[in-house]
Amino acid sequence: MASRAIIRSTQSQLAASVKCSAVAKPLGSAAVFDQKRYASNFYTTDNTYKVPDFSHYLKKGKGDDTSRVYSYFMIGSLGLLSAAGAKATVQDFLSNMSASADVLALAKVEVDLSSIPEGKNVIIKWRGKPVFIRHRTSHEIAEANAVNVASLRDPQNDADRVKKPEWLIMLGVCTHLGCVPIGESGEFGGWFCPCHGSHYDISGRIRKGPAPLNLEIPEYEFSAEDKLTIG
Amino acid sequence: MAISSVIYNTIFRRNSIFVGTVLAGAFAFEIAFDSTVDKYWDARNIGKQWKDIKYKYVEKDEE
Repeated sequence: MASRAIIRSTQSQLAASVKCSAVAKPLGSAAVFDQKRYASNFYTTDNTYKVPDFSHYLKKGKGDDTSRVYSYFMIGSLGLLSAAGAKATVQDFLSNMSASADVLALAKVEVDLSSIPEGKNVIIKWRGKPVFIRHRTSHEIAEANAVNVASLRDPQNDADRVKKPEWLIMLGVCTHLGCVPIGESGEFGGWFCPCHGSHYDISGRIRKGPAPLNLEIPEYEFSAEDKLTIG
Repeated sequence: MAISSVIYNTIFRRNSIFVGTVLAGAFAFEIAFDSTVDKYWDARNIGKQWKDIKYKYVEKDEE
């Protein structure tokens, strides 16, 4: 450091004095320049762009890819862990939105059908809504099938609304404004909504009144001969 | 050829293969990690979980 400081000071002195006379000859080359000029006197004709020899610092065994493989392996491992972590994070957030186990447990209701006699209605609660279960007589089934489907407001065959013709299972919510219709009443022998006077037939189809659609059919299946699972 | 060169030429030379290997590895890693942690958790909480004590309560219920 000290030597450099000394050089600096001589340099600036030189720069000031060069104008009047060629004081100092450039180092290393004898009288290259005769003219006066501002220049560093640390001038050399040697090629300064020579690349130093780093071979001493290079790793032995240049041919193999060990260090390259090591770097890429580390990069790849970080990517692998990040990908797994990102996937787990996203999955956690999304699974947060799906229904929890206690909700799913309440989502299904099992009904013992053997206790329902022919020609009777049973109302059960399923997901906070009433569900009508009607054990229909053969006469009622025939009645439901005798209707001219084309004349209905919401045309639907009776066969499309039941899985077994003797069991009619549907949501007990009027499609008009959500009242609960009364069973075994109305002009068509089915259900009657007291709120605004919608009449449903024995297949739960809208026949008269303001409701636009037939009573909704929930998802259900007969898990055994006389066991019904709704949901 | 050294083993490192073989690895380099098969996996790292092409970026598509590199990324594909990383994603496949992430998939495998996740399965292995999850099952390991689950196993550890079950071992640590043995006797406390529902699946361990279920037989005490459910047996009578089944016909």
